[in-house]
Amino acid sequence: MRWTSDLGSGAPFAGKEPLPFGRRRKRPRGPRLPVVVVTGFLGSGKTTLIRALLDKPEGAGTAVVVNEYGEIGIDHALLRSSSDATVLLGNGCLCCNVRSDLQETMRELFADRARGAVPSFERVLIETSGLADPGPVLQTFATDRALGREFHLQALICVVDAVAGMTNLEEMPEARRQAALADRVVVSKSDLAEPGAAELLIAQIAALNPAPIGIARNGEIEPAFLLDEPLAARRSFELGGGGHSHGLTSFSLVFDEPLSWPAFEQAMAVLAALRGPDLLRVKGLLAIAECRGPVVVHFVQHVAHPPIELEDWPDEDRRSRLVFITRGLARAAVEQLFAGVAAVAASETAQRG
Amino acid sequence: MTDTAIWNFRQLAHHELDGFGGIGEGMSIQIAKDGRRILWLAHESAPKNFTAVDVSDPRAPKLVARADLPQSHMRSNSLETVGDILAVAYQTTKPGLQPAGFELFDISVPENPRSITFFDCSGPHSRGVHQLWFADGEYIHMSSGAPDFIPSHPRDDQFYRVIDVKNPSKPVEVGRWWLPGTREGDSEPPPERHPEGADTGFRPHNTNVYPERPDRAYLGYIDGGLVILDIADMAYPKMVARWDYHPPYHGFTHTVVPFFDRNLYIVSDECVRMEGGDWPKLVWIVDGRHEANPVPISTCPLPPLEAFQRRGGRYGAHNLYENVPKPNAWKSDRIVLGTFFNGGLRAYDTSNPYQPQEVGYFVPAPPERAPTGSIQINDVFVDERAVVYTVDRHVGGLYTLEMDF
Repeated sequence: MRWTSDLGSGAPFAGKEPLPFGRRRKRPRGPRLPVVVVTGFLGSGKTTLIRALLDKPEGAGTAVVVNEYGEIGIDHALLRSSSDATVLLGNGCLCCNVRSDLQETMRELFADRARGAVPSFERVLIETSGLADPGPVLQTFATDRALGREFHLQALICVVDAVAGMTNLEEMPEARRQAALADRVVVSKSDLAEPGAAELLIAQIAALNPAPIGIARNGEIEPAFLLDEPLAARRSFELGGGGHSHGLTSFSLVFDEPLSWPAFEQAMAVLAALRGPDLLRVKGLLAIAECRGPVVVHFVQHVAHPPIELEDWPDEDRRSRLVFITRGLARAAVEQLFAGVAAVAASETAQRG
Repeated sequence: MTDTAIWNFRQLAHHELDGFGGIGEGMSIQIAKDGRRILWLAHESAPKNFTAVDVSDPRAPKLVARADLPQSHMRSNSLETVGDILAVAYQTTKPGLQPAGFELFDISVPENPRSITFFDCSGPHSRGVHQLWFADGEYIHMSSGAPDFIPSHPRDDQFYRVIDVKNPSKPVEVGRWWLPGTREGDSEPPPERHPEGADTGFRPHNTNVYPERPDRAYLGYIDGGLVILDIADMAYPKMVARWDYHPPYHGFTHTVVPFFDRNLYIVSDECVRMEGGDWPKLVWIVDGRHEANPVPISTCPLPPLEAFQRRGGRYGAHNLYENVPKPNAWKSDRIVLGTFFNGGLRAYDTSNPYQPQEVGYFVPAPPERAPTGSIQINDVFVDERAVVYTVDRHVGGLYTLEMDF
């Protein structure tokens, strides 16, 4: 879980202004290739949505990786088969599974692109199989050892259909996880559903996940909704815990004062050690005392993405914001943990001083 | 026909320079009195001398001026501007020809460059000036022959010279240095030649001097590797470091760019043979913590040879963006921009110098009538607006770009 820079202050090549997380970036993905992952339960309309995107000018330059070989006819796009049986077993904690087929496929794509064997695509879109747990996919992009050096998970999209979605969310844990972990949710087939069904479904999804929800019309949606990089959550919210969430809870923490990186890292290490499997996703934009720019952090269970320091804040709000999507973790407990670690770190400084 | 491959750069414009799009390795920005931003470009070869392009709007570059060379047996592959003074290097195809040296122009009216003076470097053993560095308005540091210099081997005809141009109409040589053994009469033995066919000479290519260390000159010494000179007394430069990695590598050390605050040198080779004949030609990251003992710690990763070998022309390293110490030039001690002929323009993040990471590339489609059938990206300059200018060696002219990484 710990991610410590070997380039911090005092390192021989740090320069005048040490950058503990490397060069400041204009955006969280830095130079890496953006990856959009589309999840959604069987029959939810993922393929239709992807095909519609690829038909638009905004969809040009997209390489497509299909988890299960689909039958979509895609012009000017690349199709790769990537089947990994293990991720189809969508129960339990899959965080330690290595998605080797996906990694191999992605690495090959990257190498082919570098040597000009395939067109110089600008992004990769992965369509996962309907039953896939997005957790392991998220982890695949977390570390340099896997795909995190070349690729950046730009957005995890979940497609939920207005006809069967409600039942799936109630009955299928995989469907709930897909909706809970997504950066954005697309509600499909609203035109085919009973009047009022889409509204009910949206309320149900909102209870699981504070992510933006978009409604597809005739199987398509504004390309930016799928392709743009989501900003870290800007608002404070507290969701879940209700009868519909099935133990999944989401909440956000906002810190008014800049955080010390060692204290933050320690607090996350404690959380990961004690409740790693339940930390489904933690995303945030932090004001770190040691850094000029905001720092993007992203955790998936016990795996931490390398933090990225940005050149600028996306808006006027300079407070740290951290979003938790968890299995049954209470907001108050997490808040107290952060407060406690910060207090201990501060008292140590005071004593030394 | 290969398509343009672009990653984390945005192309703003392409100007073929009206049929004379073969550009060498001189690129310099002048802000004219009327506020126009003029990019001065040195041509790779005759018949053109230099071209000036108004790049105030990098999306719409406009040709402003162009000069012809006085002779077809010469080239002016290198130039620099400081204020309204333009310095252009003249090199002849063979020793003994003229004009060989450099010329200073008054470019206060960019449309009408006026010659101020010509500094003659011709001689029976001299081809004149291949490259010059002119950043402070006072001294030109260059790779040149001289009338009185007899090399111990004809390929070692150029050496390091410093010329005082404080009075532009009367340039005066103030110092010179050559690798011991390369001048006839030296007490040291001549250096061991590289194998025939790969012997490109013991002579400097780039001769960079920066205000952070005005007492140092950083030389890519072609077959001699990296050379650092102490020029505190310009009349008597002294070698303080040399890193010679040839053999087993194939010579032609081209450029040394120090990242002063980070104790690093970025060192490029020049690929000079077609279709991978001298592969690999690399961009090296060198640990400069102990000045007397430069230690290479990594190289910038390149696509495999097979990817570009058969595209035509050269594939391998050449020029670097040199953090030119002038107000209208971009500065970075993290990002390296290099040109790789048919491998295009490539950008690297050296935040972790042990593992430089490629962060962008621009490999234009082969220009029309390209003699190699491929792009041959030759040089790169970045202005303080972070607009990137890159050029083709033969016909493609100028490309303007934005960085997006």
